[in-house]
Amino acid sequence: MGLDEAVHQEITELIGSNEVVLFMKGDRQQPQCGFSATVVGILDGLLGHYHTVDVLSAPQIRDGIKAFSSWPTIPQLYVKGDFVGGCDIIQEMFGSGELYEALGVEPVEVVQPKIGVSPAAAEALQQAAAQHGGDGRELHLAVDATFQSHLSIAPRTPADVEAVTEGVVLLLDPISASRADGISIDVSETPNGQAFKVDNPNAPQVQSLSVAELKALLDSGEVIELLDVRTPEERAIAAIPGAVLLNEQEAARIEAMPRDTRLVLHCHHGGRSQQAAEQFIALGFSQVFNVIGGIDAWSQEIDPDVPRY
Amino acid sequence: MALQIINAGPPAEDIAEQIRSAIGESMPEAAIEVRPQGPGHFEITVTDSGFEGLSRVKQQQRVYGAITELMAGPNAPVHAIDRLECRVP
Repeated sequence: MGLDEAVHQEITELIGSNEVVLFMKGDRQQPQCGFSATVVGILDGLLGHYHTVDVLSAPQIRDGIKAFSSWPTIPQLYVKGDFVGGCDIIQEMFGSGELYEALGVEPVEVVQPKIGVSPAAAEALQQAAAQHGGDGRELHLAVDATFQSHLSIAPRTPADVEAVTEGVVLLLDPISASRADGISIDVSETPNGQAFKVDNPNAPQVQSLSVAELKALLDSGEVIELLDVRTPEERAIAAIPGAVLLNEQEAARIEAMPRDTRLVLHCHHGGRSQQAAEQFIALGFSQVFNVIGGIDAWSQEIDPDVPRY
Repeated sequence: MALQIINAGPPAEDIAEQIRSAIGESMPEAAIEVRPQGPGHFEITVTDSGFEGLSRVKQQQRVYGAITELMAGPNAPVHAIDRLECRVP
């Protein structure tokens, strides 16, 4: 079962036309295996955009890439047409600092995060470390691109940042460290027993924009992404100049943008756009605005020539 | 009611021999050790001067490249390589 000429061609084109390509199970938004998720987690912290290929949707590539790379496992990372490695190697390179150079990005600036831990949480963490740690395995705190926190016990890597508080030593990878400053950890009782509760003030929230503020923004000439989340039918009745319909194509375009791109969303009254805004926050965007009152408020307060409906 | 027979497949030692053979063909001077570790799982140690100066990834690609066929498809005799060590003599 050698490597089919057509598949060889397909793979060659993929790695030739995209600077960074990750052959994985699932996609960036929904990895379908732990190893793929780990690599996505690292790449998300370092790159705004990279191409992924879901081998689960393309069985010929699933087998083909293994023959192409002389590598038996998925995920597989290609940078500038060269095979870099799988999950273990990517983690090692991230830990040693080699990965920044391989990707052509600046090393993540090391932030020494201030982490608050309640006495009850400190005790629970010490217990967890005593029970499951040892043998070089220590407490790790990871904060992902959506600002969810994850506690684990794992070996220390050279790039880990140490945060010591209430006698507890927590290790964070550089990307998590930059997201964890000001975090506080407590414990709370749940029906399933004790659980850690993490409050992260850095987690981006959807911000509100009044129609007056939107008008000022548009008049300033500043280039913004103004997205209309309504239906094409509604758009035909009334539209705000400069707004772009958020269809699949636009969504893909936005999703490829740096996560600090300013996004302004509107709909008819502000309800649907709030939901859409929250979805962009979940994708890791940090500057997301919802227009309060929607195009209805725009008609009433800014431009009565825009029909109400 | 017929009794279903599930064939166990070739013994691990046979597959280990196929692995040795495949690597040996592509790296004739190499010293090759293949250790079965349960159904479909193997550990491999290869010692060859050809590894000199190569990155770990490139060393491993040499070995994996030789056994691609043995790992291809849903009924591949080699399911996973738990550990691959590449050494220079």
